[in-house]
Amino acid sequence: MDTTTRARRSPILLRPFGKLRTLIENNIPLLVAVLCLLALPFIIAILDGQSIPNMLASKAGQSRFWQGLLIEVFILAVFAISYDLVLGVTGMLSLGHAFFFALNAYLTGIMLKSFDWSLLPTLGLVVVASVLQALLFAIVLPRVGAGLTFALVTFGLASVFDIVIRTREMAKHTGAEVGLQGIPRPDFLNPATARLTFYYVALVFVILVYLLMRRFVDSPTGRVCVAIRENENRAKMLGYNVFYFQLAALIVSAITAGLGGAMHTLYKPLVSPEIAGLHYTVDAFLILLIGGMGTLSGAMVGAAAYRLPDYYLHKWFHGNADFILGAVYVALVLFLPYGIVGTWRLRSPQIKQGWRRLLRLLSRKKEE
Amino acid sequence: MNDIAVKLRRNQTLIITLVVLFVLYIMAAQGMSTKDWVITTLRGLSSGAVIFLVAAGFSIVLGLMDVFNMAQGTVYMIGAYAGWSVYVRPDTLIDLLTPLALLVVGFLLNPLWNNLLDRLNLSHRAVQVWPWVGLILAGLILLFALPHVPIAVWDWKDYQDSPIVWTQNFTRGIRTSLLEPARFGDISPFIVMGGILLGSVLAAASLVGLQRRNRAASAPRRLPWSTFVPALVLAGIGIGAYLFNDSWTRFLLDLNSTLLFLIAIAVATLTGAALGGLMEIAFIRPLYARPLYQILMTLGLSAIGIDMVREIWGRNPFMLPRPSIFNGSGEGCPATSLGGWLEHHCSTLSVTIGGKAARIRVYNEIFLILVGVVMLVVIWVLIQRTRLGMIIRAGVQDSEMVEALGINVRRVFTLVFALGVGTAALGGVLSGPMTGLSDQMGGNLLLVILVTLAIGGLTSYPGAFVGAAIVGLVQQFIIKYGQLGIKLPFMDEPFKPSPPLVPASTVLLMVIILLIMPQGLLGRKE
Repeated sequence: MDTTTRARRSPILLRPFGKLRTLIENNIPLLVAVLCLLALPFIIAILDGQSIPNMLASKAGQSRFWQGLLIEVFILAVFAISYDLVLGVTGMLSLGHAFFFALNAYLTGIMLKSFDWSLLPTLGLVVVASVLQALLFAIVLPRVGAGLTFALVTFGLASVFDIVIRTREMAKHTGAEVGLQGIPRPDFLNPATARLTFYYVALVFVILVYLLMRRFVDSPTGRVCVAIRENENRAKMLGYNVFYFQLAALIVSAITAGLGGAMHTLYKPLVSPEIAGLHYTVDAFLILLIGGMGTLSGAMVGAAAYRLPDYYLHKWFHGNADFILGAVYVALVLFLPYGIVGTWRLRSPQIKQGWRRLLRLLSRKKEE
Repeated sequence: MNDIAVKLRRNQTLIITLVVLFVLYIMAAQGMSTKDWVITTLRGLSSGAVIFLVAAGFSIVLGLMDVFNMAQGTVYMIGAYAGWSVYVRPDTLIDLLTPLALLVVGFLLNPLWNNLLDRLNLSHRAVQVWPWVGLILAGLILLFALPHVPIAVWDWKDYQDSPIVWTQNFTRGIRTSLLEPARFGDISPFIVMGGILLGSVLAAASLVGLQRRNRAASAPRRLPWSTFVPALVLAGIGIGAYLFNDSWTRFLLDLNSTLLFLIAIAVATLTGAALGGLMEIAFIRPLYARPLYQILMTLGLSAIGIDMVREIWGRNPFMLPRPSIFNGSGEGCPATSLGGWLEHHCSTLSVTIGGKAARIRVYNEIFLILVGVVMLVVIWVLIQRTRLGMIIRAGVQDSEMVEALGINVRRVFTLVFALGVGTAALGGVLSGPMTGLSDQMGGNLLLVILVTLAIGGLTSYPGAFVGAAIVGLVQQFIIKYGQLGIKLPFMDEPFKPSPPLVPASTVLLMVIILLIMPQGLLGRKE
């Protein structure tokens, strides 16, 4: 017995660096992006002419502003990744995904504000609440399947929550139409005074979520989820209990979205009821379309490609930004159906070939 | 006897659900006076009628071509606003007639372009290139010509000229004095009209060319003269609207507001249908293979529509004034009988119910219900008794088979989409005098439609009717109870839900019904 284990173990022991190398080689874009994002606050501060101690103390400036915008992008990315697991990977059309995000955002806020809980127990409660929500969504699954009726039921449950937090009966806790404000935050994570810490925490959080999600999708459970998306009946025929895997995907997705919601509450000075509406789910949908559905990394690319132009559109066009965004949706659907990452994966050989041909053309001209 | 038992057993969930709903309804009616519940029921049915109009269109479209049209609510809103424009500002309509009619002329002549292209013998490269050149040229010509057409229009940024003030003037009966007909500027009107005509012809011919790029030419045939008739008529209307602009406007302004309201209804419905047809041809058609993207596409279109409405009519809500036949007051009003109403055109009827005097608004609580019932019958006849309806029913069952039988399903799709969206616009203009116009009416109604259809069964026509009635009644009863206050056992004061809780109650009802019957009450089992 000993010999066999040693024989199995030895190659792994022999090539830890080889494994690390392939890991790095497979993830070059991710690593480059992470390094850039780690350095970005400092680079912007230097370009802006702000001194580093000032920047570390969260003084106003370009760096602080960009950190804020990127934190929003990270939170959106977490939300979009969690939606990708449900819609893009498992193929369930849920129109109530904002429910996971909003309920936990509100839960965090109310627990911190009205009940004086500290952060860690609140996060524990968020995880429990997320699982319960996923179970609530899953109650209907065995009866209706993951089709249009599921979309309607999830949409209905989410809108009930949306309506309830907007009513004046709940105004004492939720702040009704205005939103939840004045949430006490722990000092080490206060985005007003320790923004750089918050920035790095958010960055680490989104990267962790991405890696865990990728691990989930690559696991046997995740592969079955993909199989369900491709052909539910076939998965059933092969003997998988489809409901069990859909439930697993829902729970993982709900926990992720719930933690994202908690992050949102910690970051935003005002938690507005907008995050509970259909609009917010559609935003995630749009992010996935821009980035590429079912790709996970597309959710992160899409969040950046969605939030940054959105900011400038609102700055330049004010009220008419929605019109332009609507036109962009229409154009995207018609002309870039697989999203940025999806199109890249499909076409990267052609793009690389074209790029090489272009380089060759240019170099030939120089020679002549 | 045995048959009935089998039928009952097969539909037992449906029957039990309906019985429970009926018992709930009786219990709800018990708590209030007879007068209150009669009026609340009427209100519920009338809001149900509007919901039904919009939901029926949605469900037919969903059933036939599996398109989840999230823009249905927006078209409902656009229908209401278009109706308001025709009704309160007919001069805008006449001004718009000229460019619109001339724009369509070119597209009506499509058979002619096909025929001419059959005769022309172009090289392969020319066939590939010229449509794009033509399209760009057409765009440039239209960009030059269209801004020169003068259109008398309100301006919501200026309070004196805003839709709100126009509506107030209309209800006071001031309709003609403020109007100054718009004039062409320094350019000859015939150059502008010719430009629009040329642009439309070029655009239509280029689009035909684009479609023909990869197709072999067929043998040219002689065209019958009848193909030119509609185009000539439309061109005539366009030029006539320019030549007799003043007299046509005057005619519409002096018209009885009831007749004008009928015209507004017709124009709004046509606008909705035209929008629907355009939407289907340009945006939905490339996406039949990708259902998820259709949802996003219609959501995007709906965002664009809402923004356009805000840009043209402003963000402030206003009313669509009631037509004179439903707006009488003064002597003999409120009428005590239908005869009295016919004589004085009162806005309200005064009736004694259960020993109490009650007032029923004729438009809201009688007319709308009647229209709803009439439309129910009309659409039912259309679906059950005509050839188009037969194709629709067959298409809902199996559209590939219908196509295989040699029916042009694409044209039917466009037609049905136009019909479905047109009924939404009709619902919008009819609900205008009841609920008023605002930029949020579409989004609010979309939620209600989805709930209605989920309750009734997504693609079932009778389901849309039953669902609309249930949702309308539940909404109005909850509103009424909100006013009266509900006595709950564990609370001291009566509980008065705030108005936003009303949609939540219907959504809860939907979730419960879907849990019991996943297909909805009358839906087909998959």
